[in-house]
Amino acid sequence: MFGYVKAYKPYMRIYEYEIYRSVYCSVCKRLSREYGFVTRLPLSYDIAFLGLMELSLKESRIKVCKERCPLHPIRKTVCLRADKDLDLTCAASVMLTYHKLRDDMADNGVLKKAAAMALLPFFKKANRQAEKRYPDLSDKISKAMKLQSEIERRKSDSLDEAAHPTALMMQAVFSELAADDEQREKLGRLGYLLGRFVYVCDALDDLDDDLRTGGYDPLIERFCKNGFDSEVKKQITAFCRDSIMLTLGALSEVYVDLHPMRYKDITDNIIYLGLKASFKRVSSGRKES
Amino acid sequence: MNKDPYKVLGVSRNASEEEIKAAYRKLAKKYHPDQYEGNPLKDVAAEKMEEINAAYDAVISQRRGNASYNSTSSYGSQYYNTAFDSAQVRDLIQRGNITVAEQVLNGVPANLRDAEWYFLKGSVCYKRGWLSEAFSNFARATSMDPSNQEYAAAYRNMASQRQGNMAGNPYQQSRTGGMSGCDCCTSLCLADCCCECMGGDLIPCC
Repeated sequence: MFGYVKAYKPYMRIYEYEIYRSVYCSVCKRLSREYGFVTRLPLSYDIAFLGLMELSLKESRIKVCKERCPLHPIRKTVCLRADKDLDLTCAASVMLTYHKLRDDMADNGVLKKAAAMALLPFFKKANRQAEKRYPDLSDKISKAMKLQSEIERRKSDSLDEAAHPTALMMQAVFSELAADDEQREKLGRLGYLLGRFVYVCDALDDLDDDLRTGGYDPLIERFCKNGFDSEVKKQITAFCRDSIMLTLGALSEVYVDLHPMRYKDITDNIIYLGLKASFKRVSSGRKES
Repeated sequence: MNKDPYKVLGVSRNASEEEIKAAYRKLAKKYHPDQYEGNPLKDVAAEKMEEINAAYDAVISQRRGNASYNSTSSYGSQYYNTAFDSAQVRDLIQRGNITVAEQVLNGVPANLRDAEWYFLKGSVCYKRGWLSEAFSNFARATSMDPSNQEYAAAYRNMASQRQGNMAGNPYQQSRTGGMSGCDCCTSLCLADCCCECMGGDLIPCC
């Protein structure tokens, strides 16, 4: 994933932040244990949201403990032990990163390509392992990837259509969490809209790069037929803003419907504040907050 | 009888057949005359039961395609004359079969596309999650038929989301500062009405 689904820290209580962090840490540790050390390196905080949803829906008992982390060797970090849970989160993380890396290989940027090339062999093996556990999910993800490359080849100028494959991927991931059909539909929609959000953010974020390298971006196809200047940029940002707000509105409807109570304060923070903050960061052109 | 059968049953227009049946059963249990033996309300209950039965028959027969019921609402007979079967498309969307619904809609030639068509197209897009397209279709439907409440409601909902509204947002209120001038006045008027009901008066001049 891409680092857009994050909590908005200024509004977090300290204990919420600790839980949020510990979910991230335990995903990271588990990845290292089960899929190999390298798989933890490109991990982003996005995965913590999936982890939180998995923990709140499965409602199994968790244990908090303090462990050392090789990436931050000085202080001990708080970790969750909930071994059966986070199974899906880890597998999904591996699969999504694997496909992202393959996507980066086809990218025109040199740096991205080099990083992808270095990491890919490790992920190939990990991905095979994850596929074995969730064959359905891996099927759906590969199908979505195929659709994605087809849309890129066609150079579609519809943002709705271009976001569809990413959204489908996340739909597949989130619906795996469901216990019954009704929940499956709701979680699927939550995932779909989240994926759509991520795609639109990414498309806006990569706009300048894609203009330079000539990469595919539906926003370029739609708005930059007659060149690019600050006026066009404004139009694009406004268009993305509308699309993002529509997405978040629909997202909140299904989120309210799901009642994920266990970590409600943290997931509320992510849904209502974090996502908007991410988009604000992207649309104002700042790279990191 | 000139009441809206959907209102009598207390279900929305796009409720599924299952929901309608469940609503009917619930009402029938409540108003069945047997329960009112020796009760002065027996006549009222019988009358109500009759109304419920008629409404149920009307809704079901309307859905099965023979629109024998003389509907007074904007929906129903008015749209049976368009180039496609809007009830069928609504049913498909309701059941989540949006691929087929879209095929039917796309089969309608461009010059025959009316407000209902744009509304349904918008609904299909909304269900799929293609929200930008859904919004422009709803906008088109409302501008073609501004009097239709259903189209207007769908449009309003998305327009407010487009402004950044999110359902169940616990942070929204504290950041916008609570109440606007309008809210304040309406609340006062309501408070005045309540007081007047109870024999008092909050705002003596009205």
